[in-house]
Amino acid sequence: MIRLDDVSFRYRVGKEPALREVTCHIRPGELVGLLGRSGSGRSTLAATLNGTIPHLVRGDLTGRVRIDGEDIRAKRPRDLADRIGFVFQDFEAQLFSTDVSLEVAFGPENLGVDRAEIARRVERCLRMVHLSHLGHKAPAALSGGQKQRLALASILALEPRILVLDEPTSDLDPAGRRELLDVIRSLRQAGDLTLLMIDPETDEMGWADRLIVLDGGRIAVDGSPAALWDRADELDALGVKGFTLASLGRRLGLTERWPDAQSAADAIRRGGWQPVAGAAERLGAADVACGDGETLLEVENLIHRYPDGTEALGGVSCAIRRGEFVAILGQNGSGKTTLVKHLNGILTPTTGEIRLAGRSLRGQPATLLSRRVGLVFQNPDHQIFAERVWDEVAFGPRLQGLSEADVRRRVEEALDAVGLADLGDMDPFILTKGSRQRVAVASTLATKPDVIILDEPTTGLDYRELQGMMALIQRLNAAGHTIVIITHAMDIAAAYARRVILMQGGRILRDGPTRDVFADEACIGPTGLTPPPVVQVGNRLGIPALTLDELVSGLTRDVGAQGRGGAEASPGPRASDIGPGTARS
Amino acid sequence: MNLFLYLDRDSPVHRLDPRTKLFLMLGSFAVAVLFFAPTPLLLLLGVLLVYGALGRALGNLRRIWVLLLSIAAVSIVSWSIFAGGSTPLVWRATREGFLYGIGAAVKIVSMIISGLVFLSTTKTEEIVLGLIRLRVPFQAAFAFSLAIRMVPTIIGTAVTVTEAQRSRGLDTESGGPLARLRTYIPLLVPIFLHTLRNTDQLAKALESRGFGARRERTSLLTIGFQARDVVALALGTMTVGVFVAARFAW
Repeated sequence: MIRLDDVSFRYRVGKEPALREVTCHIRPGELVGLLGRSGSGRSTLAATLNGTIPHLVRGDLTGRVRIDGEDIRAKRPRDLADRIGFVFQDFEAQLFSTDVSLEVAFGPENLGVDRAEIARRVERCLRMVHLSHLGHKAPAALSGGQKQRLALASILALEPRILVLDEPTSDLDPAGRRELLDVIRSLRQAGDLTLLMIDPETDEMGWADRLIVLDGGRIAVDGSPAALWDRADELDALGVKGFTLASLGRRLGLTERWPDAQSAADAIRRGGWQPVAGAAERLGAADVACGDGETLLEVENLIHRYPDGTEALGGVSCAIRRGEFVAILGQNGSGKTTLVKHLNGILTPTTGEIRLAGRSLRGQPATLLSRRVGLVFQNPDHQIFAERVWDEVAFGPRLQGLSEADVRRRVEEALDAVGLADLGDMDPFILTKGSRQRVAVASTLATKPDVIILDEPTTGLDYRELQGMMALIQRLNAAGHTIVIITHAMDIAAAYARRVILMQGGRILRDGPTRDVFADEACIGPTGLTPPPVVQVGNRLGIPALTLDELVSGLTRDVGAQGRGGAEASPGPRASDIGPGTARS
Repeated sequence: MNLFLYLDRDSPVHRLDPRTKLFLMLGSFAVAVLFFAPTPLLLLLGVLLVYGALGRALGNLRRIWVLLLSIAAVSIVSWSIFAGGSTPLVWRATREGFLYGIGAAVKIVSMIISGLVFLSTTKTEEIVLGLIRLRVPFQAAFAFSLAIRMVPTIIGTAVTVTEAQRSRGLDTESGGPLARLRTYIPLLVPIFLHTLRNTDQLAKALESRGFGARRERTSLLTIGFQARDVVALALGTMTVGVFVAARFAW
């Protein structure tokens, strides 16, 4: 079906090859997951399959790429559109039409398919992605998850036999993600589609036939999920997270492969493991003494209506205390971002009040607030403009009118804090996404805010970059900064945040210690969010653990005998199963 | 926030062929350009408002009335003062200049409203299809629709970038013109680079949808002249004819 022989590629601007002598063969009907850290060559490899490389992206391509035995070197992507379909991460850039049906029709129209057949395909493809009821809506009015499913439908309408999905779920909220994956699963069951999917989450790829891990442009690992189940260390060395449940199994000496939390919990019980008596109390006791400082921010009965009348927040009240680490969770549209935009004055309440250190924010200009509450936006590219990292970070302090000496001190401190002290002279635009995210954090840090709010600080980062970013945020918190993060990554919320605010439909559904909120799956359920796998297993075993270490520490094999599991791991630093090197208390 | 002007409604104007609506719009432009006196131009504006009401498109006026009013105000004030004339009104303004200013204001406002009615009642895809039937090459017609498609995207980026820089303490609302110009650099650089990246993505996505793969393209939408188009064109031609006759014959 797809055959690559000795394929190497170097971008015209790159010094090192992005692909090095890649040889692999993908059989018809296979579902292949492509994994690897950022820069490992995953997207580059995918781009060689439909001629994007070398026709749209220039560079030196050697070796041979064949689809169904045919060398495709001379073919442009549009010539291959009816054989190999591409769905990209950025769903906004994939939609061109003003109407959902016409969007799906666009591809077949380009290929000159006759009108009756186009109508049939539109009908069928919209049904496949569960969007039939929205046939005449404007794509711009859809949710992120719906847009990505529409992008998928518009590719399926070309009836390709190979489908490449390049991080299709990265920009989606958990609900959008699950809906898209459900559709992809049903496609796979329906027929002979060959699927190639790039996804940063190994845990999401357990249902693939085959996982290929790239490293430095080479295929480092190629095997079934079953074969990779227990090779977490090897994957870790390649910058890829292993299967979470496999790590749990290994800690407990159980090697079987568990498809979900329930089967893991059952197997752990069958294996003779039981909760340590008093585990719940012991874990709960470790949670005290955090965020008991004075109240910094108070939100009271906040209602916000956008100019078009939509009520984004419907009466929100909460308080942030000094030194806290709070995670705001919820699907897109639940009001998370609208809420934090009020906290630093970008938006003003329609009704209700916000108080900073007891003083009402009403009538205060945003420039005054931004000194007290720093907001790091999701995409660093929405704010980086300077030609040097140093100047970018100095921007905020300079606007505050500080002396050049003070500015220099602030910038140096901030760059040091984010681990970029040596890169002050670099052009931010050539840094990796992870480093650009750090520049954005540093430029907020340099304004010395009381509270730092980070909107989705880990989106688009690979596993290593994510670990580094979270370690940085935790370090800032330990140094006394009050942290609020918005995140879709439940494992991050569980491992780092001490308090969770769960939002739905513009209201706070639950606000409490992370442990209590995650232990209450019945409460989380309606939001469509699910606790991370380890927490789910713990909940099923009656242990309110938030991390792998905590869960293992709460289990014991033989009651009365040396208390093996319980003694082995201390509750200790919570963050350790997000990755090595991040643990700090 | 919906930044598209198109209103998904059913009206006699919506049901017209896009080419008909295009001709009607061009006809109204021609009339607007021909006249300078306020009376016939106000008459034209009246006709256009009736046309817009038939197309249930006047709701969109709410979104641009500030723009229309400011154009009108600037035009009336500046022509009154600078157009010259013999009958003084107040200060340096003259009666002739004032009337000319009203004419110019109504002219521009009429043309904007005419364009607004067209875009409010015609899907972008219909416009493209209409242009193709008028022998405009597909690539060119599509470029036009892509331009319309990019406007909301760029505005969205601009809003986010402005919020991000304001939250870093950038004051975009005070200061003199030069100071303001300087505050635009932190806004324009990210907006420009983001748009550039977005365009690159767009190109890849277009290719993977087979854009430009075949010379002959088909279309799910259909357009065609109906009896109502004949009626509309006849009425339009007559109206334009009366105006033209009025201009040259009387």
